[in-house]
Amino acid sequence: MSGANPVAGVVPVRLPPLGLTLAWAVVGLVLAWAVVPGLFAWQDPLQGIAGRQLEAPSLEHPLGTDGLGRDMLARVIHGARESLLGAFLAVSVGLVFGTTLGLLAGARGGIVDAAVMRLVDTLLAIPSLLLSLSVIILLGFGSINAAIAVGFVSVAHFARLSRSEVLRVRRAEYVEAAFGSGGRFLAVLWRHVLPNALTSVLALAALQFGSAILALSTLGFLGYGAPPPTPEWGLLIAEGRDFLATAWWLTCTPGVVVLAVVLSAERISRSLGARRT
Amino acid sequence: MSTTRRNLLAAPAILSVLGAMCARDAFAQAAPVRGGTLIYLEQQTYTNLYPPAGGFYPNGGVLNQITDKLTYQNPQTLEIEPWIAESWTVSADATEYVFRIRPGVTFSDGTPLNAEAVARNFDTFGLGNRELRHPVSEVITNYLRSEVIDPLTVRFHFRAPSPGFLQGTSVIGSGLVSLRTLALPFDQLGDATKIIGSGPFVVARQVLGRELVLNARQDYAWGPKQHPHQGRALLDTIRIIVSGEDSVRIGALLSGQAHVIRQIQAYDEGRVQSRGFQIFAPSTRGVNNSVVFRPDNPLVADIRVRQALRYATNAQEIVDTLFSPNYPRATSIIASTAQGHVNLADRLTYDPRQAVRLLEEAGWTLGPQGVRQKDGRELVLTAYESPPQPRNKDTLQLVAQQWARVGVRLNVLAGDAGSRVVDSLDPAKTPVAPAMVGRADPDVIRSQYHPLTRNALLQTGGVSQRVQSFNDARLNGLLDAIASEPDRAKRLALVGDVQRYVLDQAYVIPIFEEPQVFAAAPRLRGFGFEAVGRPSFYGAWLAAR
Amino acid sequence: MSRHLAQRLGQSLLVLLAAFTVAFALLQALPGDAVLIKFLDSTMGLTADQIAELRIAYGADAPLWQQYLHTLGNFLSGEFGYSIRAGVPVARLLAENIPPTLLLASLAFGVASLLAILLAVLSQLGFGWVRGFARSMPPFFVAVPVFWLGIMLIQVFSFQLGLVSVIAPEPWEELILPVLTLAVPISAPLAQVLIRNIDTVLNEPFVAVARAKGATHAWVLWRHVARNALPSTLTMAGVLFGELLGGAVVTETVFGLSGLGGLTQQAVANQDVAVLQAIVVLSAVAFVAISLAVDLLLPLLDPRLAVRPAGAA
Repeated sequence: MSGANPVAGVVPVRLPPLGLTLAWAVVGLVLAWAVVPGLFAWQDPLQGIAGRQLEAPSLEHPLGTDGLGRDMLARVIHGARESLLGAFLAVSVGLVFGTTLGLLAGARGGIVDAAVMRLVDTLLAIPSLLLSLSVIILLGFGSINAAIAVGFVSVAHFARLSRSEVLRVRRAEYVEAAFGSGGRFLAVLWRHVLPNALTSVLALAALQFGSAILALSTLGFLGYGAPPPTPEWGLLIAEGRDFLATAWWLTCTPGVVVLAVVLSAERISRSLGARRT
Repeated sequence: MSTTRRNLLAAPAILSVLGAMCARDAFAQAAPVRGGTLIYLEQQTYTNLYPPAGGFYPNGGVLNQITDKLTYQNPQTLEIEPWIAESWTVSADATEYVFRIRPGVTFSDGTPLNAEAVARNFDTFGLGNRELRHPVSEVITNYLRSEVIDPLTVRFHFRAPSPGFLQGTSVIGSGLVSLRTLALPFDQLGDATKIIGSGPFVVARQVLGRELVLNARQDYAWGPKQHPHQGRALLDTIRIIVSGEDSVRIGALLSGQAHVIRQIQAYDEGRVQSRGFQIFAPSTRGVNNSVVFRPDNPLVADIRVRQALRYATNAQEIVDTLFSPNYPRATSIIASTAQGHVNLADRLTYDPRQAVRLLEEAGWTLGPQGVRQKDGRELVLTAYESPPQPRNKDTLQLVAQQWARVGVRLNVLAGDAGSRVVDSLDPAKTPVAPAMVGRADPDVIRSQYHPLTRNALLQTGGVSQRVQSFNDARLNGLLDAIASEPDRAKRLALVGDVQRYVLDQAYVIPIFEEPQVFAAAPRLRGFGFEAVGRPSFYGAWLAAR
Repeated sequence: MSRHLAQRLGQSLLVLLAAFTVAFALLQALPGDAVLIKFLDSTMGLTADQIAELRIAYGADAPLWQQYLHTLGNFLSGEFGYSIRAGVPVARLLAENIPPTLLLASLAFGVASLLAILLAVLSQLGFGWVRGFARSMPPFFVAVPVFWLGIMLIQVFSFQLGLVSVIAPEPWEELILPVLTLAVPISAPLAQVLIRNIDTVLNEPFVAVARAKGATHAWVLWRHVARNALPSTLTMAGVLFGELLGGAVVTETVFGLSGLGGLTQQAVANQDVAVLQAIVVLSAVAFVAISLAVDLLLPLLDPRLAVRPAGAA
């Protein structure tokens, strides 16, 4: 929806591991924000100080204040929980449902495969944005529901990828042998196929993690984000844009945070993918 | 009285205009320039141009350029002046109105604007048209029938006194259109090219949802009699372009790509003025931007709870945090510029201690989560934000913060249009709602609260099927009396009664008086407004750079 | 081959019908409907009876299966219905909105391809920092929200530098910034696929052989890489199409352009079901057609694929 393309997969690059370390550091930091936001932000992210609205960054408010006089740094830090949870949930929905479908199709073949793949085609044929907007309207507004909507759209991508991985692994001799020696379908699937197909699926998941944050942000821009006063990164970017003429930092700082997280997720995804080859 | 207040409010805007003019001293005095194309940026696209649908600002902004009205309400004095009607008489009991039509007026399709056309227009607005699905105009009450006396004289008959009708002929919802337009079904009137009026501009072309181009009508010679400008409009062309992004509209204005923009946020006003641009903030003179209760919901059925929440609401803090001096704090349920306004600021004080006392008295005690409880129920209320109102989401968030201090939770929802419409009609789902409406006649109060019209409080007998039992006969009696009291002084007294009654019952928490805020390039002159803030480009012109 | 073609066609029709049905079910399940949203607006002043009549007039009260069959029949006969929101036939809305979006999307796709090729070439150059830069651009492009990019481009290039006008622009400048906005995120996956392909091909033994025989780097790239990269890029086309459409929604909203994207956004906001149904069917047809074309083209481009059936979804 916002551009990240899951089928693009990964590019093996010979960057110094410094980049990867940095990426893990960024992810670690925002995870810490999500778990113990109080350690990093000492101001209230929800209650503003009336009359102190739209202040420029200062010592007291390192990232300034928003239109209601709330500390922007606190909102960004507390926003980590909602955003990461949302992205995690979105990816989980896609991962669990998509991979199940893909495994089933790839392993069973025949009529099951055809049916599942037509279903996937159908999901891809409906414009993804329309699909996720409809799902949100159906489920009601809220960060959890938005995450489900975003995840729902990625089911098709996970299904396609895991199916092709399963087909690849199935052709491997030891799997053929396992099936040939009378192994039960599910057992072989679980013991041999899944672990081998999983690396690239996980790489896709890491990549999807970044694009889920962006997709949630796009939903906020179109007016389908979490209800106020929830601080959520995508929503912060989307809401801050109205103040661009007067307080540009309101949209730019959460933007930079999202950029850093998405880039890190991408870098980690690449390292996961690279381990396979 | 109302005009002085308005002028005081407009002072900063006028000063900035003066400043801009002084800088160009000699040139500013030059005669108006004719010709040129004006670019006007709208926030939203028009939805339907059936004249009574002109209450929606984007619709009104178009209709005000392409249609004329029977009478003209002077935006300064609020007096009703001749326009398409040269003169009129009203019977003592306000059940009969006779209008004498100005000769020689034509619609842009060449058909005459005569008594017959006026009669057909008001028959439609007053009675609706079931077959073509034209709804009844909310500004016309008790309409019975029309009677064409001669080609230029028309008489209207009413079932009961209808004192608001004269002003009703001047409002945006009473624009006169050609019989060809009236013959079209309602749902085809979203197409601007089908709206044939007699106004100073005509629709040249449209790109639905994106742009509307209006050209000046060369033979236009029937502007309001007392309007400073006469004859055809000065501009050749107006391009009304939809641009939903706040930052894009402001940027376009400041970089010279647009001349006028609607809906500029309070926080951008200073930046616009500091660069020599003009701010216009005409009052909408109607019901203030408020939070209304739906007493049908048991949570807010107790008057003490409503009063407590009124005491817990700090309107001054909201105005100071979110708005500018163009948004004065409310002193009643209607604007101080509205007719019949009574200053009731002493009943709108902020007093959280009083709020807590009332809540305790009503049996709501603080629960473990900081939210008050009674019989195992938490005092949690819900409201949908109303996107067309300025910074409504932020306003409701501040209200929620203030209520949280006395232990009441307000959830602010940003729903999709479908859920919002359905839930807003259900007092069980939305015990609280934001509301406002603009119109320069005391009838506006009736429009807002009567169950048969906007039904802001959700009483029984309205459109909503979900209301169990709430109905305030006393309030409705007062509202009906306003709509049919022919004596002006008595009518205004009734308006005062309603204001006191609604506040005593704490049905409504008024917050601020809502203006329509426009920003314009320094070179735009003669830009005007009708009485409740719809732009008028009739006398507007662009000075040389 | 013709049997395979018939099978693929049958599958495509099945997907179309499924997309239509899923969309119909989703749209019907939404709370409220366009009639309510438009006419319950208090400024319209309609009574409950009038609204009930309107609902009957628009057929919003018929049983679902009847509405479904009715709509399906209409679509099959090319009748798309009436937009309640805009008050004009859906066919007219589509006719007005498809050409600008098609132009925007194809220009954006063109620019994205150029950008991707540029990055791919840069990624193979000798200078280390250029390579690193070219390789870190795609993830960077992916990490910027489209609406944010659009707003920033407007601020910088139109409002600050005054290079292009976004309000009432000349025809030639109207699309510059929107195309750029849409092209950036589309170029990222393209560039990634290209770079990955080049890297893979350059590691193949036959490249070493070609090099040993004295072939230049450029020749190797051209001869082997172009041939290998094209098929894998083509397989992405169907998915990229969806991305373009989603991107167009945002881009057209930011720039206030008329087009399918803006139409979709308005239609969702107002639950203009007839418009949404038409948009779903239209994009499903496009998606299916693209997938079909790719399936049929691939064997021609890459003889290795000709033997095995291209049913790999």
